[in-house]
Amino acid sequence: MLVFAISDKGGTGRSVTSTNIAFRRALQGDDVCYLDFDFGSPTVGAIFGVRSAERGTERGGMHSYLQEKTEDPYRVDIWTDSDRSALRSRPPGAGQLILLPGDSSGGEFPASPRAVDRCVRLFSRLREEFDLCMVDLSAGRSYAADMVLAATARAELSDVPFRWLVFHRWTRQHIIAAAGLVFERRGLLDVGAAHGHDKTALAERIRFVRTAVVEANAPERSALRSTQLAWLDECDRDLHELARRHGVGRTAMLGKVPLDPVLQWREQILVDEDVYASQIANESTIRAFDHIATKIFDARAWEGL
Amino acid sequence: MLIMGEVQTGLLRNLGELGEPKCREVLGLVSGEEPRTSMRPLPYAISPEQFTGVDCRLPGVSGARIRGTGTVAQHAVIVGGRVLQASAYATVVAGAADHRLPWSHYLARPGDIEVHGRPRWADMAEGFMAAEMPMDALNLSAIGGRLMAAVQESPHLDGKTPFKSTRTHLRWVLWRGEAGAPPLLLTLGKGSLRTLRLTGEPATDVTAFCEDLALHDWLLTTIQAIIQRALIGTAAPSQIAARLAPAIDHLMHLWMPGARVPDSYQHLWKELERRPGFSRQWASSVTRIRDQIAVNTLSLLSAAVMTESGHEPDGDISPHRGASQDDP
Repeated sequence: MLVFAISDKGGTGRSVTSTNIAFRRALQGDDVCYLDFDFGSPTVGAIFGVRSAERGTERGGMHSYLQEKTEDPYRVDIWTDSDRSALRSRPPGAGQLILLPGDSSGGEFPASPRAVDRCVRLFSRLREEFDLCMVDLSAGRSYAADMVLAATARAELSDVPFRWLVFHRWTRQHIIAAAGLVFERRGLLDVGAAHGHDKTALAERIRFVRTAVVEANAPERSALRSTQLAWLDECDRDLHELARRHGVGRTAMLGKVPLDPVLQWREQILVDEDVYASQIANESTIRAFDHIATKIFDARAWEGL
Repeated sequence: MLIMGEVQTGLLRNLGELGEPKCREVLGLVSGEEPRTSMRPLPYAISPEQFTGVDCRLPGVSGARIRGTGTVAQHAVIVGGRVLQASAYATVVAGAADHRLPWSHYLARPGDIEVHGRPRWADMAEGFMAAEMPMDALNLSAIGGRLMAAVQESPHLDGKTPFKSTRTHLRWVLWRGEAGAPPLLLTLGKGSLRTLRLTGEPATDVTAFCEDLALHDWLLTTIQAIIQRALIGTAAPSQIAARLAPAIDHLMHLWMPGARVPDSYQHLWKELERRPGFSRQWASSVTRIRDQIAVNTLSLLSAAVMTESGHEPDGDISPHRGASQDDP
């Protein structure tokens, strides 16, 4: 399974959420590979606590592979190479967790037909080894998104299931932006159709994930005055209405991740220790990650809308 | 003179076992040259030799920039219609000149790389064993990887694998070595990298031994991964049995160490069997898997007896370990 993580705007928590989902999936026993396709800024290594790949690698990463400069892209085994001790012990029954970082000196590059060929080869190769490949794309319309849309339309990958997760925050701007990224002119559906995808079928493979959501029963709300609470509820109702009108409503949503201070201030993988021992993170956040990690593979969550 | 090589081993991208005629088609990578196949003691197919021209820096631990020009030989192997290997190797020799000669010179010596200047064999051998080589140094992994991809993308394969597995890389070097060096030293490196230092007179028929060793190391690695993921002792017997099934269906019958190794290298297999004991570990893994399957069969049988008679059977065939002795 290929999962593409995208967002329209930066700062949605796309990377921190998708890395955590990948991590939960590996804990559930799947072999997981995380690909950093954020070519302009390959910094996923930092979230996994891998100091040597904080800003990508100099040893031939994703850029080099897709541009035919290296044959085997550099791999980081999170269970052995992370500098965070909490990640360095692979729990019994857990699957592989491998990061394919970008090049530290790389930048955006156009999705040439040869790059698409390489991308097809990479995905086919990773399929031998991994149950889940999570591909982190840069924010907005990018060459990377164009390239993977072209690659997944190719016959060689026709029987590889893929899904898209569109991350957005629960605000007016973000809802409109996320809908635009998918449905508007030159959006994912348009570009996908141009590469030979069936628009309806592609739409069924796209779901939205809300990030940094403040729930009605969240403890953060207890400090608010009643006028503020009433106002918040009204905003929330408006947002639901707005989301529904833009096709980003409840039915198109795969999951939501509550606002968690740890994710806001230090983008990192949440381990059980953060919740139960040091108690800096909320249990509900990990539950949300687990929920999404399970739902990605749950066919019922992906039935036609 | 020394020979350096790398063998990549992985699962062939095909759901079923590949028959001999298909193997020939898949490995027919060079027009006009036929792959060779044999059926005993195990279906085996090897592609014709291919050569890749190189002119690059050679590895070395000292950091000295040694340049070499010539060709790397590579071929692909399919064992049991199931496991694919790509083997790339080159014989590094002292050069005929300090500068690069016309290509015709190198093409007359396929599989040889000539060193410009004075070769430092020990430095080169160790450099090639290093986990991280300079980016501009000779990269046999890339050459093997490309061959592997060429086979895996063959239209004669269905593109799917029956289970997920990791490729292994066995990097090896054979040379006369320094005085007192053991005939063979195998090291499991980081991730999927293994290194093998062989001491002896360089001869290219050693590739057969290296490929055989790489195959059996991959089998061990893969079966260990399957066992580790089955969560024996924690998960339910039926679940464990399902997770172990790929080992039984696709791997167990492939274990035949030394089957294709020339006599002159058989003593190396004996050494490996003595320590660390490849077959010992394999036998224990296979027994473990069979025992788990037996436990699952017993629990299925006892469940069937219970549903039939509506109560606990008299004879205790129940595999529920640790059950109370006081039960009626």
